[in-house]
Amino acid sequence: MTALDEEKLYAARLHAARSRPYLATALFALRVVESRQVPTMAVDEHWRCYASPAFVERTPLPELAAVWVHEVSHLLRDHHGRGERFARENGLHGAGERLRRNIAADCEINDDGFDDELPLQAGALRPGLLRLPDGLLMEEYLRLFRLGPHTDAFGWLDCGSGVDGVARGWDLGAGGAHGLSARERDAVRFRVAEGIKGRPGSAPDGWERWAEKAFHPPQPWRELLGAAVRSAVSGAGVGEDYTYGRPARRSAGLPGVVLPSLRRRPPRVCVIVDTSRSVSDAELGSALLEVAAIVRAVGGRRDLVTVLSCDAAAHVTGPLCRAEGMTLVGGGGTDLRVGFARAVRRCRPDVIVALTDGQTPWPEAAPPCRTVVGLFPRVGVADEGDPDYEPDEPPEWARVVELG
Amino acid sequence: MTSTLTTAPRTDPLDAAADLLALLQDTTTEPRPNDQLSALTLAVSADLPVLLWGEPGIGKTAALTQLADSLDLPLTTVIASVHEPSDFSGLPVVGDDPAVQGVPMAPPDWAVRLVRAGRGLLFLDELSTAPPAVQAALLRVVLERRIGSLALPPGVRIVAAANPRASAADGWELSPPLANRFVHLGWAHEHEVVVRGLGGTWPRAALPLLDRAALPEAVAFARRAVCGLLTARPALVHRLPKNEVARGGAWPSPRSWEMTLRLVAFATAAGVSRDVLSLLVRGTVGDGPGLELLAAIDRMDLPDPEELLADPAAAVLPERGDLRQTVLEGVVEAVRSRPERGRWDAAWVIMARALESGAPDVVVVPASTLAALRREDWEVPATIERLAGVVSLGRRADRAAAGRAAAGRAAAVAGRGR
Repeated sequence: MTALDEEKLYAARLHAARSRPYLATALFALRVVESRQVPTMAVDEHWRCYASPAFVERTPLPELAAVWVHEVSHLLRDHHGRGERFARENGLHGAGERLRRNIAADCEINDDGFDDELPLQAGALRPGLLRLPDGLLMEEYLRLFRLGPHTDAFGWLDCGSGVDGVARGWDLGAGGAHGLSARERDAVRFRVAEGIKGRPGSAPDGWERWAEKAFHPPQPWRELLGAAVRSAVSGAGVGEDYTYGRPARRSAGLPGVVLPSLRRRPPRVCVIVDTSRSVSDAELGSALLEVAAIVRAVGGRRDLVTVLSCDAAAHVTGPLCRAEGMTLVGGGGTDLRVGFARAVRRCRPDVIVALTDGQTPWPEAAPPCRTVVGLFPRVGVADEGDPDYEPDEPPEWARVVELG
Repeated sequence: MTSTLTTAPRTDPLDAAADLLALLQDTTTEPRPNDQLSALTLAVSADLPVLLWGEPGIGKTAALTQLADSLDLPLTTVIASVHEPSDFSGLPVVGDDPAVQGVPMAPPDWAVRLVRAGRGLLFLDELSTAPPAVQAALLRVVLERRIGSLALPPGVRIVAAANPRASAADGWELSPPLANRFVHLGWAHEHEVVVRGLGGTWPRAALPLLDRAALPEAVAFARRAVCGLLTARPALVHRLPKNEVARGGAWPSPRSWEMTLRLVAFATAAGVSRDVLSLLVRGTVGDGPGLELLAAIDRMDLPDPEELLADPAAAVLPERGDLRQTVLEGVVEAVRSRPERGRWDAAWVIMARALESGAPDVVVVPASTLAALRREDWEVPATIERLAGVVSLGRRADRAAAGRAAAGRAAAVAGRGR
């Protein structure tokens, strides 16, 4: 039985902390626990790091340092919480799923941030080995592969309950000594994220992306767009007002008093579609369908939804509008100012929803109605003639939702 | 005649149903710490309006019932979606001579009962399914504590509940100025609690109690924590949410910092865990500023480098490696700012103590920095002998990074201390 070579393990941690200074806080927050049950090294959700003495002995120090970084990455990226959420949402449980989550989590970590200084072990999993692309998130990988002959080589993978939330025999559990509480874990993650954001360019892209999102998980755009449109359409003052034209339903109880009653006319919504470039038909179609569905759900009538389209997008919007019973009004320039002016003049809408990639001048003043802008992600350079061209930000008066 | 009927055995089928219902309701409770409930209780006792965000059907009402029980406050639940705006702004009642007396706005009966009782817990449920006009009227109840012409007495505490935007049918959301007046608490169910509860045992949370003796100290602590952070980070004082995701949530402003200060004082006086404080603070000023405040509070807990240097033999260092390194670096910084032989020696004693009681790699960087602070005439203290292991650890890590010239220089620095 080999004893745990603590000196080597700690020297490896020091090497990891020196070569990845932005992870130092997290590395030092980990508590080492010797365990003979762990195949290699593993973590639990309480930030303990279980190390197998035999593994520490046979692994060269630089590779051991890379394992440190690998394990702490699982914790920083909250694979435990994300994996559990994914399993719950998709109803996927069982031993095979545990392995799949571990594989997907390892793919997310191992494709970025390791080099000659911190070399991954020879057998380490990379997305390429499963013929998967680099740079995706754990959840995306989970949707892309199944267990099969090609994953057999990774059956040994086990980074512990910190990755998949399934308790292991060696776990000390929540009551065990020196665990980090939920708040302490957040505090460490926050400090690491702030450290990376404070020195842009010091960490690999994957880590910078993580730092941006660590405490602001991206919300699905469908829900954000839905919330923005719903709140614009059903907000106070949109198509509703108090009226004395009909008696309020409570008037009978108060003889002599004229109470106003609430009347509502369905809101008029005008959707401006601007697809000068770079927006796929599928994206545009799903955004447009989303808007139509929401408007109908809040009491909009088909005839009150109009779609103003640019010529370039007619082939998408035309059939879609026919199917959805929306009215397609004329063409328009790729200049959204023209689109807004035309929308206001022709439809007198309560709400304008503009679906655009943002490569356009915006109107100077707010239109006389609520505005929601669905912004498609911009791909590539905007203007071939002027590579420095930076489109204006959407104006303050619009609620902006980034799509996709 | 009738007496023969009553003595006959009763065969009402509903009796058996009543027995079965009674059996089903026969549940017990067990003590179980619950951070959500502790946070809610603290915010309610601090008299701040709380907004619970949670999916429908996860036990918000049950939690409020338990809270009202334990605070011994009568609970009044108002389901916002079945009311009209005038139920909250008051119904006009015509008197004999409106031109002289005006038209008073009569409050609804539940408000009158609340005011008469003088105390109670008002729970405004289902805010998000009410029409916007009703919500607008309700917000006046929450913020100005007025229902028509009635003012709610100070003994009445208000809690509101809303469904998250994504699941709300009409997507109601707070405008940033309104959101800034609430303590936002996310409400989620715990799987274990639900399963155990359905099995007959519901949790009973121990409610935080304020320690009267600790009140002045709690206020001083809260002021020191919040003012300390805002002095160092003026940008955190006011920051309107910019993106769509953060809308309608907690964000920092002088108003919400004042609420935070109150909550820190309450949490300190009640001695609740930092996890509870974290829920409250992040629900008031938002995640980023909240976490920065918590980090500042953590730093206040760390031993002061000057005190450690004054009595190095008695130094007690934090267990956690990252905090320990922060303390050691603080000690080295203190020596650097006022380099004296005695302080330098004391710092070595602290390093040796750190080595005895924890992982050695944490000591390497502060020890090498300390070694580099040596003046010509300072003799190497005997304690450094004990740090030989650390130096070799550092060398070993350096060897691993042999490719790097910089690492070699670091080893030279560590070696020079010897």
